[in-house]
Amino acid sequence: MTNSQPIRWSTTAEVTIATPEGVLFRLPLAGPASRLYAMLLDTAIVLGTVNGVGLLVYWIFAKAPGFGVMVITLAEFAIGFVYGALLEGFWNGQTIGKRLFHLRVIDQAALPLRIEQAWVRNLMRVFDALPFAYLVGGISALSSPLMQRFGDRVAGTLVVRQTPLAAPGEEFWTRQKYNSFMDYPAVAMRLRRATTPELASLIQDALRRRNEIAPYARREIYRDLAAYLQSEIASFPDELVEMLSDEQYLINAAGVLFGYQRLSRLHG
Amino acid sequence: MILDLERFQAQARPRWSKLESLLAALESRPDRRLNLVEAEQLQEIYAQTAADLNRVTHGALAPDLRQYLERLVARAYAELYYAPPTRSEIWQPRRWLRIFTAFPETFRRQSRYFALAVMITVLGCALGGLGVRYDPGSVDVLLPADYLRNPGQRVHEEEKGQSRDLPSAQLEAAFSAELIRHNIQVALLAAALGVTFGIGTALLLFENGVLLGAVAVHYTQQGFGLFVTAWLLPHGVFEIPSILIAGQAGFYLARLLLRRREDRNVRQSMREWLVLIAGLAMMLVWAGMIEAFFSQHHAPVLPYGFKVVVGAAELALLTIYLLLIGRRDTGAEARTSVPSENK
Repeated sequence: MTNSQPIRWSTTAEVTIATPEGVLFRLPLAGPASRLYAMLLDTAIVLGTVNGVGLLVYWIFAKAPGFGVMVITLAEFAIGFVYGALLEGFWNGQTIGKRLFHLRVIDQAALPLRIEQAWVRNLMRVFDALPFAYLVGGISALSSPLMQRFGDRVAGTLVVRQTPLAAPGEEFWTRQKYNSFMDYPAVAMRLRRATTPELASLIQDALRRRNEIAPYARREIYRDLAAYLQSEIASFPDELVEMLSDEQYLINAAGVLFGYQRLSRLHG
Repeated sequence: MILDLERFQAQARPRWSKLESLLAALESRPDRRLNLVEAEQLQEIYAQTAADLNRVTHGALAPDLRQYLERLVARAYAELYYAPPTRSEIWQPRRWLRIFTAFPETFRRQSRYFALAVMITVLGCALGGLGVRYDPGSVDVLLPADYLRNPGQRVHEEEKGQSRDLPSAQLEAAFSAELIRHNIQVALLAAALGVTFGIGTALLLFENGVLLGAVAVHYTQQGFGLFVTAWLLPHGVFEIPSILIAGQAGFYLARLLLRRREDRNVRQSMREWLVLIAGLAMMLVWAGMIEAFFSQHHAPVLPYGFKVVVGAAELALLTIYLLLIGRRDTGAEARTSVPSENK
């Protein structure tokens, strides 16, 4: 169960969309690095295709290589723009590279990309690619709160991360039968109230990724987290804490924070 | 923590799954059209799920669930509020052929930006021409390439065909492709430089004008006026206007970006910009072919007078095309009534 959950990065930019119904939702924006990788992959695909087609063209125009060069030169140039514009326009805002890196281009109102937007943002590449290696586009994206290069600004588009996401399942710490923290309802309530969402998801991630972290690092992380909770958030009695390992401490804390069933018992 | 998440999830999960399957079905459909029943169903579950999201956001500490619901609401929102183009609209050849009339219509509609591009180019031409005329020393600065500085030698080479190793249709074809690619790239850059609020576009047009004026005056001074006219006119009558139209597109973009956000009709404006680009690309394909296959042949193969006449005829046809083809009632007023579809 724990391994099927996607890893979330906590330090990512996001855009908040307000719908006409007054619902707010956030979309995670794609960083320049993943966009660069996707673009490099797309470039490789375009060059590969053009050269593959090129061999065929040279074979067809074996008697007239000049025309072969003409066809290839124009095809390479046109495919460079057409590839991105048509794929993004007709394939859900994704090129092959973007799909592999879980990126998607959308309208900045969180609607699907329209065809003219796809064309504009791809034609604007001539400017974003200046003076070399997409320097202008890169600086523009890094300096923009919405991570937009100039093409995105003109076309009104965003590149968002779109990792597949399933409904969250049951976590292992909600399954433990007995949670000794529940014997101290007042302290447990304080833990619940004082824990920020960021801290709660930090504890959650630390426990979930238990098996991905090297043992010595895990010991250290769990010790720091437990010590922080105990000293800054909610102090459980020393005689209880002394009996618990740091890991058990965090599992109990997570049980208090996320263990919904026991909530009623706590209130009751 | 106000919400009993477990009970809440147990209650709400069936509608989330239903929304998920509805969205999956819809997204796999190529035209993404809803029938009435589906639309009502989607609207209803969307509203419920959005309410669920609000409750989770404000009433529970459940980052994963919140993220999941946000993703779901975002997908449903996109399907509900987006009007996709129908497939038949996209694949009708007649729609694609409309570019041939849409281009001159757009050109006329946005003609004031064209006038600005012409003005800046003419200013550059005047400066380049006057510079060469009154300060011969400036030739070295204004005309960087060696072949531009020594017209006599260049004309001699051109007429003898020495500048090309193998004058053949083969080389001309490859040459034309290179010209088309280069010219479209420069034109596209001029149009894209509109994002610098038109400053980049203006500089590019001005530089182009200076070069043009300097070459024209320099060659004429040396007595090669007819040669240079015959050499440049057949393709220049398409190439120069298309760079001017690129400048027009650039200034149009700059004007759009300078407008207040709520006054922009972005969707319509993007179409106008794209139509101008498509039109100038077609012009440059023609110019590239003429330049490679026709302009490079000189007297005695092609008499200069004939080349000049061909160039003049092309210019006349282009003028007629840009000024007369398409609907006539395409003044700027006709477009201001278009409601803003996107902000």
